[in-house]
Amino acid sequence: MATVAPGVPTGPYHAVLDHIHPEPTSFIRKYVFSIDAKVIGIQYMITGGIFFVIAGLLAEIIRTQLLSPHGAILSAATYNSVYSMHGSAMVWFVVIPLLTGAFGNFVMPMQIGARDVAFPWLNLVAFWIFPVAGVILFSSFLVGAPDAGWTEYPPISLQGPPGTNLWCIAVFLIGISSTMTGINFLVTIYKMRAPGMTFTRMPLFVWAQFATTPLLFIATTALGAALAALFIERVFGVPFYDPKRGGSPVLWQHMFWFYSHPAVYIMIIPGFGIISEVLPTFARKPIFGYKMIAFSSVAISLLSFSVWAHHMFTSGMVPWLQLPFMIITMVIAIPTGVKIFSWMATLWGGSINWKTPLLYATGFLITFTYGGLTGFFLAAVPLDYHEHGTYFVVAHFHYVLYGGSIMSLFAGIYYWWPKMTGRMYNEKLGQLQFWLTFIGFNATFTPMHWLGLLGMPRRVATYDPQFQFWNQFASISSYVMALGTVLFFYILFDSIRNGKKSGPNPWGARTLEWMVSSPPPYYNFKKIPAVLAAPYDFGNPLPYLGLEAAPGATEATPTSASHPVPTY
Amino acid sequence: MAQRVVKPKTNLGPGFWPVTAFIAVLSAVMVYLVETSPLPIGLIQAGAPADSIDALFRFLGAVAAVIFNIVVIYTIYFGIVFARPKGAPPNTIGVQIHDAPVLEFWWTAIPTILVVILSIYSVKIWADLQNSQGDVLTVEAIGYQFGFQFRYPKVKGLVNEMHLPLNTPTTIHVTSRDVIHGFWIPELRMKADMVPGLINTIRVTPTVPGTYHIICSEFCGVAHSAMDQKMVIESQQAFAKWFARQAGGSGSSGGGGTAIAIDKGHADAGQKLFGQKCSACHSVGPFDQKQVGPGLGKIFNDPAHPKLVNGDAPTPQNVAKIIQSGFQGDMGVMPSAQVNQLSNPDIANLVAYLASLSKK
Repeated sequence: MATVAPGVPTGPYHAVLDHIHPEPTSFIRKYVFSIDAKVIGIQYMITGGIFFVIAGLLAEIIRTQLLSPHGAILSAATYNSVYSMHGSAMVWFVVIPLLTGAFGNFVMPMQIGARDVAFPWLNLVAFWIFPVAGVILFSSFLVGAPDAGWTEYPPISLQGPPGTNLWCIAVFLIGISSTMTGINFLVTIYKMRAPGMTFTRMPLFVWAQFATTPLLFIATTALGAALAALFIERVFGVPFYDPKRGGSPVLWQHMFWFYSHPAVYIMIIPGFGIISEVLPTFARKPIFGYKMIAFSSVAISLLSFSVWAHHMFTSGMVPWLQLPFMIITMVIAIPTGVKIFSWMATLWGGSINWKTPLLYATGFLITFTYGGLTGFFLAAVPLDYHEHGTYFVVAHFHYVLYGGSIMSLFAGIYYWWPKMTGRMYNEKLGQLQFWLTFIGFNATFTPMHWLGLLGMPRRVATYDPQFQFWNQFASISSYVMALGTVLFFYILFDSIRNGKKSGPNPWGARTLEWMVSSPPPYYNFKKIPAVLAAPYDFGNPLPYLGLEAAPGATEATPTSASHPVPTY
Repeated sequence: MAQRVVKPKTNLGPGFWPVTAFIAVLSAVMVYLVETSPLPIGLIQAGAPADSIDALFRFLGAVAAVIFNIVVIYTIYFGIVFARPKGAPPNTIGVQIHDAPVLEFWWTAIPTILVVILSIYSVKIWADLQNSQGDVLTVEAIGYQFGFQFRYPKVKGLVNEMHLPLNTPTTIHVTSRDVIHGFWIPELRMKADMVPGLINTIRVTPTVPGTYHIICSEFCGVAHSAMDQKMVIESQQAFAKWFARQAGGSGSSGGGGTAIAIDKGHADAGQKLFGQKCSACHSVGPFDQKQVGPGLGKIFNDPAHPKLVNGDAPTPQNVAKIIQSGFQGDMGVMPSAQVNQLSNPDIANLVAYLASLSKK
């Protein structure tokens, strides 16, 4: 066989690549216990969306309670359960599954030109653990929900209500699910890229998922061990953590944060990937500094394993040990800064098409930068002595988790919604929804910075009356955010019912998922395409060979006579 | 078709340099404001190390303000000037530039230098804190559910209030009796977790007299929000007087010889007090309806529990005694009346209320 293009291997395995399994016909195999990554991705999205609504309602209960310094609606005990469940659900049952399970499954295999993930059955199991674990988590409300925060520090978590045991089980299960997904994605990205898709030709969302995978299956094991020990101590009385019987409460903190700090990056690196896809598409120019963005994701991923103890500067450790943790934490600002500057430079000189996904991407840029900068304040040990355990921390991590992860989720859902459903959403309402969310979010969380600095500790059901004004301000602003979320779901339902047909590529994007119809066919590609270049060269012909041109694509096809195939 | 490369109108885009100048001026103004304002506004510095920690805070604040200005203003500016004009064909493309190695070098190098400077500055402040001379007075602070107690040298037992003398380098060793608590004095910008089985140490030198708060900053149970205790910084003479009183007296509260007029209590007043002071830990149900402590609804006539938790007979006097002196049980610690700020008439009211419950 003749060489198609330099760097594109050809050979007998092409015949294997062309084989397509038949699509299952029964409803159950097609939509319930499906092994199609796209269906599983949408299942993740729906399940995560339901949990997002529940956890969001819990957040509104929290803010309503804090309308009054004496606690407006709940007893302290109930309030403690509410905020603990809010945190646990948002971290493990909303952000992580949506960013990895949902977008990873729906988008990533298509972007690398594969028909599915490497282990579809493993994928099926990983997904079905998720709703089961979610039900277990929320059923703890029936027996007394955990009340010691999402971190569940012993010894207080040893005194916690019986639901704490269910919490252990649920988080342990979701950890298993994460581990499966991590291994699955790593193998998929490593082994199943289309011919010619070298690492430096991968879309940046794939790079982001790739950088996230080691976090998923290495860090999660530490959490699993810690949870098993907590469960065993609570149920069978084996003292791992109880200092009165020779255990160490700080041990839990080390194990927990050895997972949970990398988990912070599980919750943001895929978001970086989404932003890196949205920006070039809507600025109509290549992503600026492709390699720097790709490598900085990997750098952040590796560094994130050696910063966990910055959550524990006040917990008690050898003082000198605080310094390496502080410095490595600060070093993470460098690759993160490189990303932010590269994204800004991507906007420069563009032909910017202001659509909702791009609004969210730039909103992300601003709020995430803010959250990153306050992270620096927390990393500096002497400042952390003052700020640790206060509302300053609450403000910081909501800026990176809501302003970062959730904003990127919104960007991703608006961006890939036409691909998932084949329908457009209402653009005007989408932009209104962005502004409600962006303004509501900032007004809710900015005051918390100074509330914390002035002396308001976190996890309190009542507070000093001097803080009442800003707490009420934050609470009322949070209702604006809630309104934005309600509007968001309205937009989605409206799109499904009345949305215009989108066609395969409404944004004129260039990554492979846009080269197939919307919604994509079972098994994505009839023929696996060959990849000639990184996908972001707007104006050049599409760098794919063997693609059956999707009808209605706005870009020129690779065989166009006036644009010869570029050589690399 | 898709070849129409839009050349920027000037080298870097229209108005790039004026915007850059604006960012520079705004940043300079913000740096000046941050460096000269007493941040965090509204919280006094009651002593070392608040001053050096605030200096680091302002320095970081200034750097952060500059970076934030650059990111936000350039992003908005690019978004406006490079927005696709209305009516432009949908496949108009931007400048096809992939990277700019010199630019990328500098925007990696400058943050790296900043990180080095900020780490060195932070390490320096940190080292000052570690090396500060703090051993003129040593106090031990012990957290429990839900309050703080203190041990002073030469004072027998524990005292329920922390007093610190002015201008005296003080070492505070903190630990806990039950679960993890936080020991935070915002006005001193200092905090350490109180971990059972561990002793953490902070060093402070108070310089401004006044009454401040010790706040629990680690979640510690149902009454965590209420774990906020006054502490006093006072002149060395006033401290010496207070200290002599503690050293001479019984130290720990609860000895109290004053009799409580049990029969003068009002159940209504007691009910109100119970809601404020007791209901975080005690229900008004039967003994087994536990929150942190046992349910108190049948404390005077519970056939299943004919004795009080300390083994005494359930008489009003004995109940009053527990309220007055506090109690350490399996489930946690009940603070004394002094910590709970309950006067003798309050206790009488509470006993009257509990008695009214048991009659039902």
